[in-house]
Amino acid sequence: MNQSILSARNLNKVVPSAEGELTILHDLCLELNRGDSLAIVGSSGSGKSTLLGLLAGLDVPSGGSVSLAGRDLGSLDEDQRARVRAEHVGFVFQSFQLLDSLSALENVMLPLELDGRPDARERASELLRRVGLEQRLSHYPRQLSGGEQQRVAIARAFAAEPDVLFADEPTGNLDSHTGERISDLLFELNHERGTTLVLVTHDERLAHRCHRLIRLEGGHLVDHVEP
Amino acid sequence: MNGLPLSRLCLLAARQLIRDTRAGEMRVLFFALLVAVAASTAIGYFSARLNGAMLMRATEFLGADLLLSGSSLARPEQIEAGQRLGLDHAQVVEFSSVIATDEGIQLSSVKAADDAYPLRGQLKSAPEPYQPEEPGEGPRPGEAWAEARLFAALNLKVGDTIEIGEKPLRLSRVLTYEPDRAGDFYSLTPRVLMHLDDLAATGVVQPGSRVRYKELWRGTPEALAAYREAVKPGLAANQRLEDARDGNRQIGGALGRAERYLNLASLAAVLLAGVAVALSASRFASRRFDASALLRCLGLSRREALGLYGLQLALIGLIASACGALLGWLAQYGLFYLLRDLLPADVPAGGLLPAVVGIATGLVALGGFALPPLAALGRVPPLRVLRRDVLPVPPSTWLVYGTALLALGLIMWRLSLDLPLTFALLGGGLVATLILGGGLLFGLQSLRRLLKRAALPWRLGLGQLLRHPLAAAGQSLAFGLILLAMSLIVLLRSELLDTWQDQLPENAPNHFALNVLPADKDAFAARLSEMSPHPAPLYPVVPGRLIAINGEPVKDLVSKDSRGERAIRRDLSLTWAAELPGDNRLSAGSWWNTAHASELPGVSVESELAESLKLELGDRLSFSVGGLTRDAQVTSLRDVEWDSFQPNFYMVFEPGTLQDLPATYLTSFYLPPRHERELVELARAFPAVTLLQVDALLAQLRSILTQVTLAIEYVLLFVLAAGLAVLFAGLQATLDERIRQGALLRALGAERALLVKARRAEFALLGAASGLLAALGCELISALLYRYAFDLNWQPHPWLLLLPLVGALLIGGAGVLGTRRALNASPLTVLREG
Repeated sequence: MNQSILSARNLNKVVPSAEGELTILHDLCLELNRGDSLAIVGSSGSGKSTLLGLLAGLDVPSGGSVSLAGRDLGSLDEDQRARVRAEHVGFVFQSFQLLDSLSALENVMLPLELDGRPDARERASELLRRVGLEQRLSHYPRQLSGGEQQRVAIARAFAAEPDVLFADEPTGNLDSHTGERISDLLFELNHERGTTLVLVTHDERLAHRCHRLIRLEGGHLVDHVEP
Repeated sequence: MNGLPLSRLCLLAARQLIRDTRAGEMRVLFFALLVAVAASTAIGYFSARLNGAMLMRATEFLGADLLLSGSSLARPEQIEAGQRLGLDHAQVVEFSSVIATDEGIQLSSVKAADDAYPLRGQLKSAPEPYQPEEPGEGPRPGEAWAEARLFAALNLKVGDTIEIGEKPLRLSRVLTYEPDRAGDFYSLTPRVLMHLDDLAATGVVQPGSRVRYKELWRGTPEALAAYREAVKPGLAANQRLEDARDGNRQIGGALGRAERYLNLASLAAVLLAGVAVALSASRFASRRFDASALLRCLGLSRREALGLYGLQLALIGLIASACGALLGWLAQYGLFYLLRDLLPADVPAGGLLPAVVGIATGLVALGGFALPPLAALGRVPPLRVLRRDVLPVPPSTWLVYGTALLALGLIMWRLSLDLPLTFALLGGGLVATLILGGGLLFGLQSLRRLLKRAALPWRLGLGQLLRHPLAAAGQSLAFGLILLAMSLIVLLRSELLDTWQDQLPENAPNHFALNVLPADKDAFAARLSEMSPHPAPLYPVVPGRLIAINGEPVKDLVSKDSRGERAIRRDLSLTWAAELPGDNRLSAGSWWNTAHASELPGVSVESELAESLKLELGDRLSFSVGGLTRDAQVTSLRDVEWDSFQPNFYMVFEPGTLQDLPATYLTSFYLPPRHERELVELARAFPAVTLLQVDALLAQLRSILTQVTLAIEYVLLFVLAAGLAVLFAGLQATLDERIRQGALLRALGAERALLVKARRAEFALLGAASGLLAALGCELISALLYRYAFDLNWQPHPWLLLLPLVGALLIGGAGVLGTRRALNASPLTVLREG
């Protein structure tokens, strides 16, 4: 299983600001194999989310390169990157980011349909059953609790069988008990499906469940631990 | 923080507003108000100034702004009052005189005028009969101008001398046009114009002789109003005051319709603005839920929170309205600049009123449409700082729609000043909204069931609509209103123009022939049909005066200065006809039928005169005809198209009732330009016939219609521009949610093409639904308006069924364009939001 799925070389991100250019990420290198799990920790503003965005191809770096599932993201345009995401990437967000206009089932079906899968409905139902929401298929996000919404989001993230799952503070909006159950679910599914997990979190306990941990400070990588 | 003083609240609001200027919805709100106020101010200015300009044209028909006329000379204090007010003055004396030459005698109506005459419009004359006319000063002392028919009747040449009373005058030119003659072209005798200085020498004007004295006045509306006030109480029984509004009917009708149309157009602009303001104000409110909750947590009372946001809105409302008024003023200025060749140079400025009204309209719209979302802000529970999904209790539906309706009603009332029409429009609009909205809601809900099997772009696009059918119905009503307002204005424009075109076709009669003798009738008709393609029939005319109604003297029955009074103080042209004249329409009673059992002969009366004289079917009218008294019974009332240039009559008798009296015949006909030769020959062949040219009047009327048409087209552009601008503003209101959704879908790997497809599906459906609503609403409202405001015949407009397609294209296109930002949103946004 020592196959590289995600690598970053000399990653830089510079943004314009009122005081001139501001470097929010400095020369960051990183390599992840299939089935790995990586936690990115750091204080607010340390560049965690920026890094996540670059690794997932949601944003383009100012310097350096990112390779995801063998594709160099820097050479792709936004639509091509979208295709790479559809094929290889899943997301879990802190604020769940479900579409209000779609039911729980339809939200989970969405990535499958983007992928053109004919069995979208069946697979989505099965995943919702897996996360314990078989009674909530036709409910809309507004009708679900925070924990339930995040479980829908996790089901959606795993629906397309991604190679890499990016999770941005997945338990940040939940109470500790619910948060615990959500992270259990996340790691269970991660093991079951052999997905690579990249996790941004403040929660040290959650971070230490990962194989590896990197700590950012002011855009610099200051610590790289393999617990 | 209890009892925050108002000054601190104001300061806070101002500071907050400055910080918020970068927020999208503030710009949208500002823009919506700017467009609204600019459009209604521009239209307000434009119609006020255009109205002024058209009124000035109309004053030409009096030759003055205000006319004091009487059968005795005006008293010195009546003249001094005008001079004190700084009014310009001209004096005219009119009387009849017989002109005799070796060839014969001819009764003429002589006008003696001073150098200042006319104060409005111009005299026109030609060097020889039926030659091209040119404008210029009137005759000098010792000279006279006469109409061509006097030259024909007495075989005169330019340069000959005629005698008026004891004064010989040299005929120096042919009089072709007097501005103040136009409204009175039924007068039978040819005109002679001379200088007032020669009047005394004629010796014609003696105590007791029939003379009409006219004092003409020109000045500012204020001075004229003051003069009216000063003179009115002291008017002698034989004196009256007239202004342009009392004057010419042809002009009056066109002006009235144009004014109503312009008002309606500004109503449409305000309606559009209201929709935009409502959309952006609700976005303003919903984006401030968090901030409001936070302020409440920090100790602000509900009232203070409301006050803070209310002040912000009021402030932005005032600034935007002031800018809008300025913009509107500049826009109308540009418009007048573009039209400078068509409009008189001295178009009145319009004053401050349209700007003030424009600003007030903007503020009323802001109040009516923004108050309900603002009220919601006051109800945001402080708990929201902890739980973002806590929403304020929605305001009562009655409050939301009540205030909006109230604001709309107020604005409509101001514009049309016609309560039944306002209520008909509001009530009709409300009923239509409820029925159509309900139908739409039902349709959307049924669609939801169908949608389960649809393709992904459709489900994504329509899911948003169908998830909130009430909001979707509201949105399509709003877009529907925009389409409705725009299509209604287009519809009215084309039909008003068509109506005017119909009234004044290219070959509208431009000549009248009077005094055709019974012996000449057939020969004249035959000659006329050779010259002119469709002459009007020849109508018999017997001059007669209405003297009593149901046995009571008519003088006791009518109020001074009413139409009825003007009709009874002179001889009417009485006629008889077996068939109802072509462009007349019966409004009551029936045309001659055998069932008419009364002993008395029947008479059909023009309906407006009947109203002024309070006549009803069955009333007995007594006429003095040629020294005899004839009675008749009112059997029908007729609507008459006075602006058709066809011979029209107040009184049409049953055939066989006046035939024993001496009558002459009257007709009108069209003669193409450059056929003056034939006219001279016609005049020579039938010397007794009086030929009147009304080309000048027609041309004047056409030029007014051209201006009105242009104005209407420009105003239409304004409304269309406002509608489109507001459409974009409305789309912006939903932009946040779309950006979030777009970014999320992108993050999940959706390609741009899918998002575009989903967007198209959503807006096309929204547009089609709006178009359908607009088509139905437009038919309903146009039927009401035609009937009650414009006096037009309503027929269904099948082309309105294209509106759903137009809506789908327009709103689909504008929707995709207006929400471009949502398509281009970086998927990174979803991380930032977390």
